[in-house]
Amino acid sequence: MNLENFGMDTITLAGPLEAKLRAVREAGFTHVMLNATDIAGHPAGEDAAVAAVRASGLRVTGFQVLRDFEGLSGHLHAYKVDIAKAMLGMCHALGSKVLLACSSTSAHASGDFELLKKDLQKLATLAIPFGIKIAYEALSWGRHVNLYPQAWDIVQQAERANLGVCLDSFHILANRSELDAVEDIDPRKIFLVQLSDFLWREVRSAEDRIDTARHYRVFPGEGVHNEQLAALVRTIDATGYRGDYSFEVFNDDYRALPLAMVAQRARRSASWVASLVSRRSLPARQR
Amino acid sequence: MALAEALPEPSNPLGMDGIEFIEYSTSQPQAFGALLQQMGFAAVARHRSREVVLYRQGAMNLIVNADASAAEKTPAIAAIALRVRDAGFAHRHCLDLGAWDMPTRASAMELHIPGIHGVGDSLIYFVDRYRDFAIYDVDFVFDSNSKPHPPGVAGLHWFGVVQAILNERTADWLDFYRTLFGFEVLPRGQYFGVLPKGTLLESPCRKFYLQLIEPPPGADEVHWNEGLVRVGLGAPDVPKAVAALKQRGIVFVDHGAVQPSDKGALTQVYLGGVTFELVVSKEIPS
Repeated sequence: MNLENFGMDTITLAGPLEAKLRAVREAGFTHVMLNATDIAGHPAGEDAAVAAVRASGLRVTGFQVLRDFEGLSGHLHAYKVDIAKAMLGMCHALGSKVLLACSSTSAHASGDFELLKKDLQKLATLAIPFGIKIAYEALSWGRHVNLYPQAWDIVQQAERANLGVCLDSFHILANRSELDAVEDIDPRKIFLVQLSDFLWREVRSAEDRIDTARHYRVFPGEGVHNEQLAALVRTIDATGYRGDYSFEVFNDDYRALPLAMVAQRARRSASWVASLVSRRSLPARQR
Repeated sequence: MALAEALPEPSNPLGMDGIEFIEYSTSQPQAFGALLQQMGFAAVARHRSREVVLYRQGAMNLIVNADASAAEKTPAIAAIALRVRDAGFAHRHCLDLGAWDMPTRASAMELHIPGIHGVGDSLIYFVDRYRDFAIYDVDFVFDSNSKPHPPGVAGLHWFGVVQAILNERTADWLDFYRTLFGFEVLPRGQYFGVLPKGTLLESPCRKFYLQLIEPPPGADEVHWNEGLVRVGLGAPDVPKAVAALKQRGIVFVDHGAVQPSDKGALTQVYLGGVTFELVVSKEIPS
């Protein structure tokens, strides 16, 4: 692994989009994960946001996040299809090849496996003309899908080329999930890996997990789960996954610090993670 | 009694029954019309309100749309209209499964043909009135001086459409055509014509094919966009069809791997990007 494999996420940084992009690039990263609010909230409008991203020279790791899509019915489903279409349009405009979709937390969502599968198949079909892949992620407080093997199960059964999973270390650590099931995932169906840690061991309730996830994440190497994170990264790497790792670090403190300082922390974290597994770019030793 | 058993989907969920028409868009309708006439098509009718002309030969309907403001000079395939059992059902079925709806373009008293977005800027329409009533009777005025059903040159008929796709996109588009319409992939190595490459999909009605082509290895993707790039015309006797079209002034590529043979032939590039491919095939009557 090397720096090329890692990207930052704009949600970690404060300030205008252009400043975030500059900080990410100046720290040596080549790609960035974008959030819908970067685009919709740009003071000069969406086109200006898209132009800023294109001008930055950074590749777009992915675009987030479509929430609560699957399991709804009637007008709620129709409403979410509209939202999904708008997000796919933004994702496409940014040149992003991946849209992150998080498992539903809605009290109105059904847990019927066939319905969840059907809805994700529909989302995948909506994404085909744009050439966008859907990375489905199990949120640790998801209503029916909250463990990564559940997300993988649906993805596997859905059998759609552009539907895969996103593995997020936060949710895996927060739920104390076993890592064994990672080995069962086809590495070609892992569309994104998001890495972060947090600063305490116990997250007992769903409310704890939500609060920690949204305000107190830190970069890998800065938290208290170094050993588990290292095991996770090594396991993912051993599957043959060679795609992107993005630092999804929601942290209120980092959003109050100079961007360059936060980006440097991300840079240090990338080195730490990269040191966990052998460099990918080195050819295998010839006998 | 509630039906709880999981029944398999029918292999032809839309009751597809071949191609009703292929639509091209161009800002040079005269030049393209002249080429179509050389290819054996005849202009038979004009749209009542728009700059749209219906060409025909044999059982093939081909529409040239010069109305679209976005039309490029080089004629491009803008739509495929599929014959289906029930256009309304086909439309709803596709939207339910994740297709993108097409904005209606019909003016007052014009026929509304439902459709969805296909590859690139192209559309896929659904037409269910093709047996005892033709959609053209509503929106088009037929030229009283020409035959409404000119015969085809050497038995030419629709064989299929070639679609260019980006690298590693074959699986995505297979999902698209399989899920929405019930297309099936032909076993690898089963090809027709003189351009054996890509992936061939057979329509559920077994009346035409789609050919998906990724850029050749080493090709610069900058010059390769996704879209419908060419129609294939079936001919029961390719050499005979080639001879008849040559006589009408059509030039075929006559060197390398794609020179005319019993299996097929490829025309030269016209108007900056239009080609027609001939493929040996017997027409399946509707």
